[in-house]
Amino acid sequence: MAPQGGEVAPRRELALIVNGRPAVARIEPRELLLDFLRNRLGLTGAKRSCDVQVCGACTVLVDDRPVSACCFLAYEARGRQVTTIEGLAEAGHLHPLQEAFIEHGAIQCGFCTPGMILTALTLLREVPTPSPDQVRTYLKGSLCRCTGYWKIIDAVVDAGRRMARAEAARR
Amino acid sequence: MSGVVGTAMRRVDAAEKATGAARFTGDLALPGLLCGKVLRSPFPHARLVRVDTSAAERMPGVRAVLTGGDLADLDPYYGHAIKDRPIVALERVRFIGEPVAAVAADDEAAAEEALRAITVEYEELPAVTVLGEALAAGAPRVHEGPLRPGLFHGLGDLRREEGNICYHYHFARGDLESAFAASDVVVEGEYTFPAVYQYAMEPHTVIAQWGESEITVWASCQHPYLVRAELADLFRVPLSAVRVIVPYVGGGFGSKSYTKMEPLTVALARKARRPVRIANSIEEAMVTTRRHNMRCWMRTGATRDGAVVARQCRIWLDTGAYADNGPRVAATAGDAAPGAYRWRAVGVDAWAVYTHTPPAGSYRAFGAAHMAWIGESQIDALARRVGLDPLEFRRRNLLRPGEEVRPGGKPLDADLVGDVTKVAAAVGWGTPKPPFVGRGVGVGLLAAGAQPVSTAVLRLQADGTVVLLVSTTELGQGARTAFTQIVADELGVPPSRVRVAGADTQVTPFDRSTGASRSTTLAGTAVQRASADLRGQLLEIAKRVWGLPLSALTVRDGAVWHETDALPFPELLARHFGMVGGELIGRGEVRPERGSGSYAEGPVFWEVCVGGAEVHVSPETGQIRVRRLASVADVGKAINPQLVEAQDEGASLQGLGNTLFEEMIFENGQLMNGSLLDYHVPTTADLPDAFHTIIVENGDGPGPYGAKGVGEGALAAVPAAIVNALADLGLEIRDLPVTPERVLRCLGVLGAPAGTGGAAP
Amino acid sequence: MLRPFEIHEPTSIAEASRLLADHGEDAAVYAGGTELILVMKEGLAHFRHLVDIKTIPGLETIAYDGAVLRLGALATHRAIERSAVVGRHAPLLASVASQVANPRVRNVGTLGGNLCFAEPHSDLGTLCVAWDAVIVLARDGEERSVPADRFFTGVLETVREPDEVLVRVELRPFGPGTGGAYQRFAMHERPTAGVAAVVATRGGVIQHGRIAIGSVGPMPVRASEAEAMLAGAPLRDEALREAAKAVGRHAEVMDDLYGSAAYKRHVLTVLAARALREAVACAREEDA
Repeated sequence: MAPQGGEVAPRRELALIVNGRPAVARIEPRELLLDFLRNRLGLTGAKRSCDVQVCGACTVLVDDRPVSACCFLAYEARGRQVTTIEGLAEAGHLHPLQEAFIEHGAIQCGFCTPGMILTALTLLREVPTPSPDQVRTYLKGSLCRCTGYWKIIDAVVDAGRRMARAEAARR
Repeated sequence: MSGVVGTAMRRVDAAEKATGAARFTGDLALPGLLCGKVLRSPFPHARLVRVDTSAAERMPGVRAVLTGGDLADLDPYYGHAIKDRPIVALERVRFIGEPVAAVAADDEAAAEEALRAITVEYEELPAVTVLGEALAAGAPRVHEGPLRPGLFHGLGDLRREEGNICYHYHFARGDLESAFAASDVVVEGEYTFPAVYQYAMEPHTVIAQWGESEITVWASCQHPYLVRAELADLFRVPLSAVRVIVPYVGGGFGSKSYTKMEPLTVALARKARRPVRIANSIEEAMVTTRRHNMRCWMRTGATRDGAVVARQCRIWLDTGAYADNGPRVAATAGDAAPGAYRWRAVGVDAWAVYTHTPPAGSYRAFGAAHMAWIGESQIDALARRVGLDPLEFRRRNLLRPGEEVRPGGKPLDADLVGDVTKVAAAVGWGTPKPPFVGRGVGVGLLAAGAQPVSTAVLRLQADGTVVLLVSTTELGQGARTAFTQIVADELGVPPSRVRVAGADTQVTPFDRSTGASRSTTLAGTAVQRASADLRGQLLEIAKRVWGLPLSALTVRDGAVWHETDALPFPELLARHFGMVGGELIGRGEVRPERGSGSYAEGPVFWEVCVGGAEVHVSPETGQIRVRRLASVADVGKAINPQLVEAQDEGASLQGLGNTLFEEMIFENGQLMNGSLLDYHVPTTADLPDAFHTIIVENGDGPGPYGAKGVGEGALAAVPAAIVNALADLGLEIRDLPVTPERVLRCLGVLGAPAGTGGAAP
Repeated sequence: MLRPFEIHEPTSIAEASRLLADHGEDAAVYAGGTELILVMKEGLAHFRHLVDIKTIPGLETIAYDGAVLRLGALATHRAIERSAVVGRHAPLLASVASQVANPRVRNVGTLGGNLCFAEPHSDLGTLCVAWDAVIVLARDGEERSVPADRFFTGVLETVREPDEVLVRVELRPFGPGTGGAYQRFAMHERPTAGVAAVVATRGGVIQHGRIAIGSVGPMPVRASEAEAMLAGAPLRDEALREAAKAVGRHAEVMDDLYGSAAYKRHVLTVLAARALREAVACAREEDA
């Protein structure tokens, strides 16, 4: 066991891209990505809740894949692309998932919402038009205590359909 | 009317929440903000011999270390019901997790290092950590001396009975003994309900700043005005010198009702002379408040032709080391115990009991969630004994609207027979059942509304937009949206012209609380009245401008109209003030219509708890799969049907969790599953195969447009419906949660049922 | 929060091994970190030196050489779940990997980390024991192979020496007439019980079966009594049922928050029967 108090580990430079913009900082290796984003960059959309990778409230994307930022060292994000909920809307236009969450009433207290939307986004990238059962299965590691999940599932299914329609229209 | 009431209008806070822009207390940044951390007791009961903070105080980055010794100038006890809780432990600790000291430091790392540097010497004392021990003759006392009433107990006489009982609620009607003697069939049983964690996803978070002339607090609290009053009382300052601001709250469910971490944070800021934030972890939140675990004995009698006769019930609720809301929970459980039936005699005793465990307080549908499944399982047992279908048995015996529920209280204000018939149909009542599938319904009543005191202020701005000031907190229930809809319709303006300010006790006017399903009904009425007041002022101005009688004028589309002539609101204001500027202020209030609005005279309305369930039980693993679940949201009028559904869906899933697996497990006062790795909260995998919310709009509520509250009933209805669906399969459930292991024991696969923990009182 | 530590970024096994040897008990191998960071955050363990093996090239490779499937230690659960090679030669492994925790953990957590951490509820650990997986440990220039059923030694304990790095796991895909299955029962984040079974059959006879149980004791273990009953037994449901009963009867099971020992024994029996039936069904498919 380490001695108490007064310890410091050498800081190291961390350079990464957050929501499309470069970010650089000198960090201690122990700094968690969640604290880095919230405390240094003021990106408070990702929330701390369970703190043990169960609830999903702290979900952010690293190279387009979801991670629990509460247990993920900021060091791991070096040289990588991090996306938080603040980076989802483009040029002031909400992402279709955000639109669908709003329309379906899938948002209540809002504490789970950023992580839930980002997690759903990773599902839609793999399964563009998931069935309600597929959404249910994928989201079972993301907690919401307000909604009872039904409206969230509806929103994700609907967002998938909308995005597929928009994609088809573009072609 | 622009006609948004009754529509599924988008939530006014949804876009902020979908983009991460919504700010919660933990998201706020203040110049010089310190990080606060709390040192907590490792013993359920011990004398504090010595707390040495000298090493911690000398550590770099540490700005203040608070202990009981810093509170000598105060009467440092609080508790809205009973003033029994010190801000930080004084001579002794009474539960594992009780704050013993707190540190304010420049950052989290320094604060945690400092906590490790505090040495505390304890002298362990005998503890009572389960109800049986606390109620035993000669048991160690959790609290000595008389109980001091808190500022908001509202429950009459608080005299202590004996030992560790902190409150006793009793009512009786009719002659119980002769009524039971006249009963042809009587069912009787003992039951237990576990301690449960509310799991608001945002744990309690508070920022406090001790200023020259004002204590400012940003808190994830549900009832800012009650917190303000307790802080003013504790720190000996006028009410007006305490400002409580509530940003968005990440779920409440009762866990943030009344005062929680606020006094400790203020005391720490007072010592540090800098703003401090304390943010609980989940484990800390779990020992800050929880649902009461309970033991209950109940018997119910009926005639052989299927009429209910009598019910008697004794309830012991474990309120932990401090009363918190225990007295009110006991009273509400007592009120829920008879259920909604026509008794010849009924007798109820409910006791809140101190133990050396973390304090228990409010959790959604308290009292009713504890009791409905017990009473309803006895109703089903009686129905089976007399050979009647449980639904038919209920139709014969349920109260009808206008009948007395409780002596001196509000008569029944809902159509329960209609409600239960609907849920039964939704779960396939009367249709053939596959093997291992059972169906059940449950009916209950929840005393809702708390005290009916709310106020609202509506400010009409020079450009015709309005700002609503109301101290209802936005916990996710959608209060701001429902209020926007009411204002929009009452003033004839589009919802986009209405803004609802966040609760801030220096700005938004008094509201008693946000809970007890009261906000739409009570604060909503204040909002409606404020709108009417404002409308009246506008009409008066138009009357003067035009010289026409009021009867010739109407308000719609943001203007006052006479036939086809319109005076838009901005023009009315300009005419009134003689300039572009100025504002009109409408005010609305709700206060008790009769008496003092006390608990005995209430409730404001009876919230309906009606649900149906169809379950499948695996005879191999004992696992219960809920195939169909239905709940009635009997709301009088759905201001926003989507919000009603959302509240009902959420409450139902919490009800499912409370029934099937949620349980805080304590051993000798130590919480054994203080993490979401071991405390399971319902996920999408736990959803029923199908769920139906049935919205019932009979216009029979006391709120705007005949509305009444929703959001709790399903949490009491679902356990009752599931337990009765299991009874339909021959499983007699006496203990929640109904774990697979308990199911197998009931089925006789694993031998006799396990003991239910703790000796019978 | 985490207490201070340094991260080392070796570029070879030899360098990692030296770092681990140099810092002894103050060092830990750091792979995905999903388990390690958690216990360090909770204050249950503290290491001042984390040796990040993700900077060593090649440890994430998944390859099949016609006989053996080699899974690099750093293959994430997600990579295993989605690997075409695994899908073709070891679909059961892909299926179990797809059930680990949640998409976030699967995206970061690794097979090697999961096994080395030796959390008693590891689904993959139980599966590896039944599958007779070989765990390859390396230090400076030398490798040794450990059968999975001798790898785990207790709660969070394995035979890995402090300066060794788990480099890969080797599995032999099921041949004709052999099938496998994994069954778990979970009411919490972690399973209450898990049973893995691999059954080899020929001509209506069970040649041998391997059964591993997990989550109920300090580590995944083989159900040797039940395995003995299976060897040479006729390929009939009764034989599977009897073996399943033996799994429950002989299991060493602890009471804990997830249930009593009696309940877990019962569930093991149920799961073993399911797993054996599924394995046999899978063997028949392989045979066909």
